[in-house]
Amino acid sequence: MFVYEKKLQYPVNIKTTNPKLAKIIITQYGGPDGELGASLRYLSQRFTMPMPELKGTLTDIGTEELNHLEMIGAIVYQLTKNLTEEQVKAAGFEDYFVDHTTGIYPQSAGGTPFTAAYLQSKGDPITDLHENMAAEQGL
Amino acid sequence: MTKREMLLKKISTAQFAALDTQLFLDTHPGDTESVEKMRKYRNLAKPLIEEYEQKYGPLTKNGDDSNTWNWIKGPWPWESEEDC
Repeated sequence: MFVYEKKLQYPVNIKTTNPKLAKIIITQYGGPDGELGASLRYLSQRFTMPMPELKGTLTDIGTEELNHLEMIGAIVYQLTKNLTEEQVKAAGFEDYFVDHTTGIYPQSAGGTPFTAAYLQSKGDPITDLHENMAAEQGL
Repeated sequence: MTKREMLLKKISTAQFAALDTQLFLDTHPGDTESVEKMRKYRNLAKPLIEEYEQKYGPLTKNGDDSNTWNWIKGPWPWESEEDC
């Protein structure tokens, strides 16, 4: 089960309103390569892993991705604080704003709502680990 | 940064080291040297957490619940003192 600690994994202290940047950063929240997809992928795949090392790693990394999700949410929240109408218009933020105002909504930078299509969980450990390597993009 | 934020950052630093070591132990459970390191980092964090919770309120719901206002009162992690 999950326990919540009332802190961010790393502090977020943004003082300058910047909705243009928020529109880009939000893709790390609910986009195809974002933290929501990462946490859900690992926390879903762990059930069918055959070895304790794998169950442990996927559980713990999935949990850490939730920490990251929280930080990105905090970033977007702070980037859109005290938003004025002029700032919304100047930043081209109207299309997000009309549907969500300054609410934090899991979507990609292009506006696609988060979908489980961004992840895969096939029940086969080799397949799933390959999916993870592809998703993490470095490997 | 406020004093509270500075203390929280110290806690996060120690916890991050402990967390990374614990992740390593997920795939290397026999590594006694790393167990020692993890304990060391956790012991670094422990007094700082006690100090923080005593001064500013609980970090988890499992802490002191004698004052239930303390859990819900701000600032929440995405806020600063000015927001409250």
